[in-house]
Amino acid sequence: MSWRAELLPTYAVAARNLVMGVRNVFFFFELLFWPIVGVLSIGLMTRFLGLTPEQGAFVLVGTLALSIVNVCQLEVAYAMLLDVWSKSVKHQFMAPIRIRHLTVGSWLIGVLRGFVIFVLLAALAAWAFDFHVLRPGVVAVTAFLAGCFLTSLVVGVFVCALVTLFGTRAEAFAWASVNLVLVLAGIYYPVSVLPKPVAAIAAAIPLTYFLDAYRSHFGFRSEFAAPVTTGLALSAVYVVLAHWAFRAAIERARQTGLLLKMSE
Amino acid sequence: MSSVDATRLAIDAREVTKTFRSGWFRRRETAALRGVSLQVERGMIFGLLGPNGAGKTTLLSILATLLVPDGGVARVLGLDVTRDATALRRRLNMASGRPSFLWSLRVDEIIAFYGRLYGLSGARLRRQVDALIEQYELTSYRKAQYNELSTGLKQRVALAKALINDPELLFLDEPTLGLDPDVSVRVRRHVADLRREQGMTIVLTTHYMREAEELCDEIGFIKAGRILAQGTADALKRQMGLGYVVALKLEPRPAWLAEAPGVLRCVDAGDGWIDCTVDDPEKRVPELLRAFMKEGVEVRNLQVREPELEEVFVELAR
Repeated sequence: MSWRAELLPTYAVAARNLVMGVRNVFFFFELLFWPIVGVLSIGLMTRFLGLTPEQGAFVLVGTLALSIVNVCQLEVAYAMLLDVWSKSVKHQFMAPIRIRHLTVGSWLIGVLRGFVIFVLLAALAAWAFDFHVLRPGVVAVTAFLAGCFLTSLVVGVFVCALVTLFGTRAEAFAWASVNLVLVLAGIYYPVSVLPKPVAAIAAAIPLTYFLDAYRSHFGFRSEFAAPVTTGLALSAVYVVLAHWAFRAAIERARQTGLLLKMSE
Repeated sequence: MSSVDATRLAIDAREVTKTFRSGWFRRRETAALRGVSLQVERGMIFGLLGPNGAGKTTLLSILATLLVPDGGVARVLGLDVTRDATALRRRLNMASGRPSFLWSLRVDEIIAFYGRLYGLSGARLRRQVDALIEQYELTSYRKAQYNELSTGLKQRVALAKALINDPELLFLDEPTLGLDPDVSVRVRRHVADLRREQGMTIVLTTHYMREAEELCDEIGFIKAGRILAQGTADALKRQMGLGYVVALKLEPRPAWLAEAPGVLRCVDAGDGWIDCTVDDPEKRVPELLRAFMKEGVEVRNLQVREPELEEVFVELAR
């Protein structure tokens, strides 16, 4: 395995996703409009409800995570979706490309877009609601962002596997799944308020731990021991599992002919 | 497969089977290939003909590693299509007559994207992209987005993309489908040039018999998942025993013509022409002319020709 052979197809996928993203008419809405609307509406709601600055920070952290994960996981899912929509799947899989080139290439652009959104929303939150994302320090912010991006990678790759298995029929489920993950991870509330069986599921989601760790810097007691380490370990397991699932889905699509049905 | 076969044959498929299964509750099975055996020599243009649903695309997809066969063995360029798929993919490529690529990418971006997937970069990639754009007369459309192109231009982009890795084996799935006649002629010329100049092996499917006859060194007829016949166009015509066509313009038309010795059948070809298929033209034409003279039938025109490949197709597809 040479680095060049690894980097070149990864770069090809990243460059393709970037170009497609920039030329997408919804790019503006995805990158700016919806995230800004989200932070403004939630921030104003915290004022209306008269929440303390700490409680406001708790909710705004969730809003930031929601925007970042949504955009980044969508970009990872584009690894498969762009070719499914354009019916060019077979050209991609006739080339000597590996699954990791597809997912990592797309993820890199997802991370870039997610980071741009984070910076914009952080500036907006500081200006409008006196919420400063850097208050917990650079390490804490880095861990929080890493958690958002790793969760996005896992969700995005699972979406790719579903789309490869079931075709465009799986798209609706794919869009719903990310919101389900966010709800379970305690996006606007601590997972302790969830019913016990649901809280157990939440404990299996990496983002739960990263949200918990970051919020602990805003005066909320952490519900888990070593949340960042646990979140990273869980993410590593899920990244491997998701790639295994995607690979298995492609092999199955080669068996069933779905790879051809999704092509011209 | 012996080492001699591995160097001589681009494709060596033996008893390849493929059945598609669908439906969750009521399983439906469709046998697409029922034991296909096919050998194609390197450097050859091979045409795969057959009616819709015969298994052409399924076979092509298995050979191109896009589909896994259920049974049998398929070796392409000496490599097993299932076990050695990744290594094989570097040496193959494919273009289809209904191409589709990412709608927002520009022509040069599409070709460069696939070039990078095949390991090209830097100056070599730029040179290759430029050369293909020029070769397929896409220079004026270089910066046009894919969704702005006409059908013919899209097909040219597909052909350019298919050559980005200088493949040893190229699959063309109905490459001139829906193209204007002049563009079709140019595409056919390009295909012939690829074989002549680069020694590329080309496997193509087509519904245009004239195209197959003009381009292909060998033709395989596939129907209901089986190869029914394989050989050169001439050999297939002989093999089918279709005879020769004697086209006649007669005045008056004799009633006994279809029953004359050696005449297999006669059909009205319009405009006063009667096409009679005979077993041996060198023997039957003089016999017929003597009979016409004897009966006072005026022969206004007469042509002898080989049967068209289309007639072989119709016969086999029946």
